[in-house]
Amino acid sequence: MLYYLRIWLASARYSVTRTLMFRGDFIVWSLVELFWMTVNLLLVSVIYRHTDSIAGWNQYEMMLLVGTSMLIQRFLMGFFWSSIFEMGRNVRTGNFDFFLAQPGNVMFMATTRKLDPDGLVNAVIAVGVIVYAAGKLNLQPGVSDILLYAAMVGCGLVIHYSVLVISISLVFWLTSAQGVEGTYFTLTEFSRLPREAFKGVVSQMLFVWLLPVVVVSNAPARVLIGRFGEDWHWVAGPFLFAALWFALAVFVFHRGLRRYSSASS
Amino acid sequence: MFPALEKYRQAFLVGLQSNLVYRWNFAIRGFFSLFHLAVVFILWGAAFEGAGNIGGFDLRQTLTYFITILALQFLVSAFNEDYQISEEIRNGLINQFLLKPINYFAYRFSIFVAARLVSGSLILIPLLVALPVIGEYLTFPLEPWRLAVGLPAVLLSALIQFCIAYCFGMLTFWFLEIQGFVILSLAIEAVLGGQIFPLDLMSPDVFAASMLLPYPYQMYFPAAIFTGRFGFEESLWCLGIQACWVGILLTVGHGLWLRGLRRHTAVGG
Repeated sequence: MLYYLRIWLASARYSVTRTLMFRGDFIVWSLVELFWMTVNLLLVSVIYRHTDSIAGWNQYEMMLLVGTSMLIQRFLMGFFWSSIFEMGRNVRTGNFDFFLAQPGNVMFMATTRKLDPDGLVNAVIAVGVIVYAAGKLNLQPGVSDILLYAAMVGCGLVIHYSVLVISISLVFWLTSAQGVEGTYFTLTEFSRLPREAFKGVVSQMLFVWLLPVVVVSNAPARVLIGRFGEDWHWVAGPFLFAALWFALAVFVFHRGLRRYSSASS
Repeated sequence: MFPALEKYRQAFLVGLQSNLVYRWNFAIRGFFSLFHLAVVFILWGAAFEGAGNIGGFDLRQTLTYFITILALQFLVSAFNEDYQISEEIRNGLINQFLLKPINYFAYRFSIFVAARLVSGSLILIPLLVALPVIGEYLTFPLEPWRLAVGLPAVLLSALIQFCIAYCFGMLTFWFLEIQGFVILSLAIEAVLGGQIFPLDLMSPDVFAASMLLPYPYQMYFPAAIFTGRFGFEESLWCLGIQACWVGILLTVGHGLWLRGLRRHTAVGG
């Protein structure tokens, strides 16, 4: 464990140094992420210009939910996105050989090599959105609520990471994963919807339980808003799903790895 | 009949073949876009529970708008043409075009048309699969003029999409990396192109101002014609603005090509 932590710290140090070398690039990418976050908030504000409630959630509750979803996604972008995105291209070009030759777990090496400080910088903005929305809702969470919220955000990060690894691992079967990474972004769109918006058994089974992207953001948001009530499965759910999805990601990745035969097309 | 066009026909055929290699890739993207449609249905369905109509349109009309936008995305959007052009400039592959009697813009556009033909056809599969579910929400106005004005609008939309991608690709003459610009522009296009919400739901002033930009003519405008969000006179007026933007973007693209070539250095044989 300590061995991998040292490897990750070395990679992180390299990424930060590289970012400092290309400061203009860092600013552009920070703006890109900031703009996409603004797009999501804009959607909320446009809809609430015409209605007072979405599935029983008011504008600031929705903003808190969207802020939580953005926070998890910023962490994913900051810690893992570049590495996993490049993995798709590397498998196609044969540059993935580089990771096979490294002295460590291939999945860890391939998915944690690069850190994107711009994603992490925008996590601060996401926290700002959450704090602003919580202030508008007059929420006063206790320390235990905040700790539980943080733990659930951590679970959300693991679930998102796993879904993304599974999506990109399709490249082992397809000739190209170009555009397939976009499927991950499609799935994360569900995380910005309130759980109550999902009507019908099929919809709930598919999007709330089978693909737990809704739980990922709804569970932590509910901790802050106080919408848990007696539904304690909302607390256990994220931890259980994080373990299951991570196991599935490890399985799919290693099954795919067996098909890897260096450069293809 | 037009011997000069033969080379572009060949480029089109090659583009068709190379895009068919990635047919599964497009098909998977098409099927996953149904998830995006599911998000739209769930979000707007929940929003319409609190309001009978939004912006003067009911739930079915709003969902029809988003389904049309999805189909247009695959039919006219530039997916990665900007990257391809950028790569060709950065790697010096454009040198071959400088030595041959071929227009680079026309060559790239031929490949773009081939790619959209493949992706536009493949999106029909998931849409047909989803038809039993989404069919009951589809409600298109049936005035014939909508087809007469809408089809040219779609063609001009494709041109605008390609011209913007082409201009971004040309930036490689000045910048080593254009990915940041492209994704920043994608965010703007997503909002002002009407992919996130129908633009007419914004405040009237902001909506009127946005219609002067090229972005709404990438997708929102043809979708608005087909789904009844625009009347006849408004559509004709906007078609004129769209044609103007095509002219402007073609000029800018050509200007960037000429200016960029002055900075370009072809090395090696």
